[in-house]
Order: sequence, then structure tokens, then C-alpha cells
Amino acid sequence: MKTRKLLAVVGLCVFGLGLFAGSATAADKVLKIGVVFPLTGPVATAGQRCVAAVETAAEVINNAHPEFKVPLAAQEGILGGTKIQLVVADHQGKPDVGKSEAERLFNQEGVWAMIGCYNSAVTKPASAVAERMKRIFLSGCSSSAALTERNYQYFFRCAPTDKTESHEFVEYIQWLNQNQKAGIKTIGLIYENTEFGKHAADEGKAAAKAAGFEVLADVAFNPGATNLNSEVQTLKAKNPDAVFGACLGGDYTLWVRTMKQMNWLPKVTLNYCTGYQDPKIAQQLGPDGDFFMGGTGYSPEIGAKYMPDVAAVEKIYTAKVGVPFDSDSIQEAVALLVLAQAIEKAGSLDVEKVAAILRSETFDSPLSLGGKVAFGPGGQNMKATSIVTQLHGGKYMPVFPLSYAEQAATVPMTPWDKR
Amino acid sequence: MKTTRFQQRDLVWGILVLLLAVLPLIPGVIGNSFRAHVLIMVLLYASMAQSWNIVSGYAGQTSFGHSVFFGIGAYGAGMAVVTYGLTPWPGFLVGALLAAVVAVLISWPCFRLSGHYFAIATFAIVEIFNRLFMVWDWVGGALGLDYPILTDGWKNFVWSQTKVGFYYGALALFILIFGIVRWIETHRLGYYLRAVREGQETAESLGVNSTAVKLAAMAFSAFLAALCGGFFVQYNYRVDPPMVMSLEMSMKFVLITILGGLGNFWGPLLGAMILIPLQEYTRAYLTVLGSGVDLIIFGLIIVLMMIKQPGGIMGIVTDFGARRRRAGARPDTGV
Repeated sequence: MKTRKLLAVVGLCVFGLGLFAGSATAADKVLKIGVVFPLTGPVATAGQRCVAAVETAAEVINNAHPEFKVPLAAQEGILGGTKIQLVVADHQGKPDVGKSEAERLFNQEGVWAMIGCYNSAVTKPASAVAERMKRIFLSGCSSSAALTERNYQYFFRCAPTDKTESHEFVEYIQWLNQNQKAGIKTIGLIYENTEFGKHAADEGKAAAKAAGFEVLADVAFNPGATNLNSEVQTLKAKNPDAVFGACLGGDYTLWVRTMKQMNWLPKVTLNYCTGYQDPKIAQQLGPDGDFFMGGTGYSPEIGAKYMPDVAAVEKIYTAKVGVPFDSDSIQEAVALLVLAQAIEKAGSLDVEKVAAILRSETFDSPLSLGGKVAFGPGGQNMKATSIVTQLHGGKYMPVFPLSYAEQAATVPMTPWDKR
Repeated sequence: MKTTRFQQRDLVWGILVLLLAVLPLIPGVIGNSFRAHVLIMVLLYASMAQSWNIVSGYAGQTSFGHSVFFGIGAYGAGMAVVTYGLTPWPGFLVGALLAAVVAVLISWPCFRLSGHYFAIATFAIVEIFNRLFMVWDWVGGALGLDYPILTDGWKNFVWSQTKVGFYYGALALFILIFGIVRWIETHRLGYYLRAVREGQETAESLGVNSTAVKLAAMAFSAFLAALCGGFFVQYNYRVDPPMVMSLEMSMKFVLITILGGLGNFWGPLLGAMILIPLQEYTRAYLTVLGSGVDLIIFGLIIVLMMIKQPGGIMGIVTDFGARRRRAGARPDTGV
């Protein structure tokens, strides 16, 4: 009996020690960077790809790759040999978890800066932690324009915002009306009812109204929906000429399939962010995905033509996740590459110096569509570029702006029964 | 005999509170560490679970709708700060009072339903409030409410450089809620609640107004859950409907109490002491093993506990005590 008691006490002590154990001490010449993404939950796949992209960038920085035409690739590490060590955390798509993980990474793990969080709703509180602590936070692809309207001093975002994309969508529709006689007068919106979806829809609505379009339908749905019949039925009843969608992952697939089931299509659909941009989803949809359009920052086709230096780096990424970069994941790799360049330029790990360089300098970025990154007020990348593409046989064909366009878009979309 | 038990339990309670109060004075224990975060979460979730325990443990009315009251409290503080630019303090009070009123209004018709029907009705209430808040622009809708950068301190009830303030805030909440439940336990209301739980008809035959008793329990419970919600939004600098008004959040109230021991004073604390560190540490340190390891462990513990000891941890403690007493009594009885 005494032995059992003793074992129980020892067990409890070990359990307690385990709980209160600190993190491992950092080795010399290592710079820890926190990486927080949704590794579980409804958008886990996107989160895991984002982590793989940051890991890819870390491999490029840490090892000598003279064959890559990417800044810092030819040397080993930064600041004369300091290696980037990533500390990965899962925020599960929950803002409160993201905030507590940000605190843990800074306070417990001793990370120097952070990259994350994919979901705009999580990026907000997590970056607020960094701002309060005067630490640098880079977001690759969180798209809510509100993030860079807070005038934070230590927050930087690489991707275009949903505000930028909204204006581009409207501009493109105006161009279609003038040049392809598309006859688009009315707009409908369908979006997931989250920070991302609502914000994108609000920006889309504002841009459409400002350009004189009539907004006929405003349809929100809960992310992860199992049925979008009533939502698509509402759109069909209003029958807008063009629909702006803010549907991620499986929701995007469900939206497209439900429209097919109801045998309805508007003249044009334009989607924000990842649902449309995910090459895996385009593959799964097959011919059903054809003629849909959306904002795109990267696809292998675009990369081959405008970003030739991506292909070599992409091999590392593809070996990890089995698919090429998409518009979101590549921005996370850009985030780390730009941060590393800023540190190298500062010549030290002085946060203020590095933040000042991030705010003021222009960085070479072969992994960005514009080839450059320069952060403006609020930390938004002023060089962020997104182009409108249309899916044809699983390939993202650039259609707007004209400087990137490879062919005229199929407008109106070919009806389901004529495919 | 009753007085002796009361004093012993309160002595343990007093010592525990004293230990928790002096904990930040030990250098390096609280500070701004992850450990401090876990301790704060234990105190917060224990308080939340205890508020739920009033109506579901002591009064036997299983509610899956407590995230609604928690959410109303969170929005009370959040709107005071974000929408009206005030300190959160009036928001705490308004949110808590509003939650109590909403609880009474909701419960009045729901208490006509008994057993599983009441529980099902509370499930529906969470969905209704979640959808309502998602489309209600005045409360921020799906965008939620994000805190601006505020000056640290008790006035704004936010701290960014240390967690000591939040720790004492959570401890105050813990003392308040556990203190109220302790008072209820020894007060007439506590006996009425347990009488209603054990047999509503019997209690009514003895003159207990069961509807009034259940409504009082619900109002108390919602008021206290809302205070926890107010703390939650201050701690996270943000609130949106899925964060607070969700079935997932409601299940946290339920699971912690069931694991610790339903209808027992110590149950919510024990449940939170096991589940919260497990949840936080496994998520933080086992992510490298793969996605969702923490959730797998969490699920296994709940399943094992339900199979082996539905009375929760307090059930194990009680069984252990009973076995010891029986073992100790054997020589005296000559068996």
C-alpha cells in the first residue's frame, strides 16, 4: 500500500513538472520565429500548407542554394550564419486560442517575431499581442482590410486586401461591359458569415454601389455548411448578372455544385481568396469549375510566365504537401523572406531598427507577382498585386488587367446544359 | 455535526484562496508566462462551470444554453469599451444584469418543459442567439468587436506586460462565484434547489415554489456566467459570436462540471484543474506530434470517465474515502 502511495505521489510530481516545464533553451546562432496557423479545424489544410510554405522559406534562408535566384538563398542563414528556427503552433481557427498562442510563443518560447494566422479574425487579436509587446508580426495572406487600417507600428501584411480585390472586380466588370458588351448591371453577394466573408462582402458591396451597380442579393451562410440550397435559391430568384463570392475550401465546392444542381449561373462569378484559388479544389471540381473567376496572386501557369524563379523553390514546397504553391501559401513564404531581408539590412536584431526598415525600404521578392514588396501606412504591402483569372480545364488563365491577360474571358459563363 | 462539516470545508476553502492569493508574490511563478495563462484559465473555467453548477448541478435542470449568458456578458464589456469608449466596468454590470433578465425570460416558458425537453430547448437558444448576433450590426455582427490598444491597468482592466492583474481579476471572480455557491449550499435556497432536483412534485407538496426556485437559480447562474464572459473578452481583446455564443462553449460549462462532479462544490474546480491544463499543454506542446492530439486525449479522458465513474473526480474521491472508512472499521467490528 505504501509503495502504491509513493508511486502515486511520484506520478503526480512528474505530471506537475511536465506541466510546468519550460521550453528548451535556444542554441546559439538561432533565431526563433513563431508560426501560428489553423492546423486543425475547418481550414486545417490551408493552415498546414501555410506552415509548409514558411518552412520552405526557412530552408531557402538557412541553407546555401546558389542555384535559387532568391535573396539570401546563396548564403547560409542571416547575420553571418544565424539560422531561422520555426516554432509552430495551432490556433484551431479560434481567436482566443490564437491570442494565447501568440503570448506563449513570445513569452515562453522566446520567439523574436511571428508569422500568421491565415484567418483574419485570429490575426487581429494575435497581432494585437505583438503590437502591445512592440514585436514584429507579419501576415502573409489574411485579407481583411481592417487589419492594416489600425495604424499598428509592428504589423505588416504581404497579400492584397479584399478591398483591393473588390475594386479590381468592379473595374473588370466595367471593362467587360465596355469591351465584351457583357451587359452586367446587377450584383449579388454570397459569403461565409465570418470576419473574412463579411468584410469582403461589405467591401464588394461598397465598390459595386460606388460604380453604379445595383446590389440585388446579399446572402450570408455559416462556414462549413452542409447545404447551400436556400442560399443559392435566393440568388437564383434575384438573378443578379454577376456574383461576388467569399467562400473558402469545401464551401466553394458546395456553392458551385449547388448552382449546377439548380441549373443556374450568373453571367460572371468572381471569388475572393482561397476556395477558388485552391488547385486541389479546381482539380476536384473538374469541368464544373470551368469559367468561374477570381482574384489570383499565384498559380503555376502565372508563375511560369511572370515569376520564373518560383519553380525551383516550389519543388521544396511540393515535396512537403504534394501540391504547388497557391495564392495564399506563397505569401507566407514571402513574409519570412522579407523579414529575413529586413534583419539582414538592419544588421542586428534590434526590433525598432528592423521595423523601421520594413516600413521604409523596398524588398526584392521573386515569389511575389509584382516582384517587389514595400509596406505603406498601416503595414500594407503597396506592391501587392492580384490578377483576375478564369479557370479553363483546371488552369488559371489570366484575363485582367490587360497587361497580364492571355485571352478574353468566356463571358457569359457557358450554361450547365451546354457544357 | 453540520456546523463542524461547514467549518472544515470552509477552512480548506480559505487556505486554498490564501495560497492562490500569495502565488504571484513568489518570483517567477506568475509574471507573463504561459503557466500564468493556464492558471488564469483554470480559475475562469472553474468559475464558469460553478455558475452552471447552480442550475444544472444543484437544481438538476440541465442547461446547454449557458454560452448565451456568457456571451451577453462578453458583449456587455466589449460594447462598453469598443462601441461607447468607456471602461469595461459599467459593461460588466449591465451585461450581467441583462443576462439575468434574458435567463428569466427564456427559462419561464422552458421550465414548463421537463427532463430532456428543457435541455433540448436550451440547445436551440444557443443557435438562435448565435444567428441573431451574427447579423446584428449594432453588436458588430460577424465582424465582432476588436479592442483598441488601451492603457494597462485596473481602470481599463487590461494588461499586456504582465498577467498578474488578470490573475487577480480571475481570482476575484473565482472567490465571488464559489463564495456565492457556498452561501447557497448552506442557505435555504440550496435545500430548495436540491429538493427540486430530487423530486419536483414532492418538493412542491412540501410547499416549495419550484418555478420560483428554478428561476432564481437560473438568474443567479446567468448573472455569474455573464461576469465570466466579461472577463473573457477583456482577456482576449476581441469578441465575436462563434467565440462566445456557441455549443462548443456551452459544452465546456458542462464537461468541466461533469468531469469534476456534478452538484458538488469542489467538482467544477477539480474538472477545470484537469481539463484546462490538459487542453492548453497538449495543444501547445504536442502539436509537433500531429494535428489534434490534444483533442484525442481530451476525448479519451471524457469517455473513460463516463464509463468508469459517472460521478466524476469527486465520485472517485468519495469512493476512495468510503473504502478507507470501511477498511478502518473492519478491526472494530471484528470482521
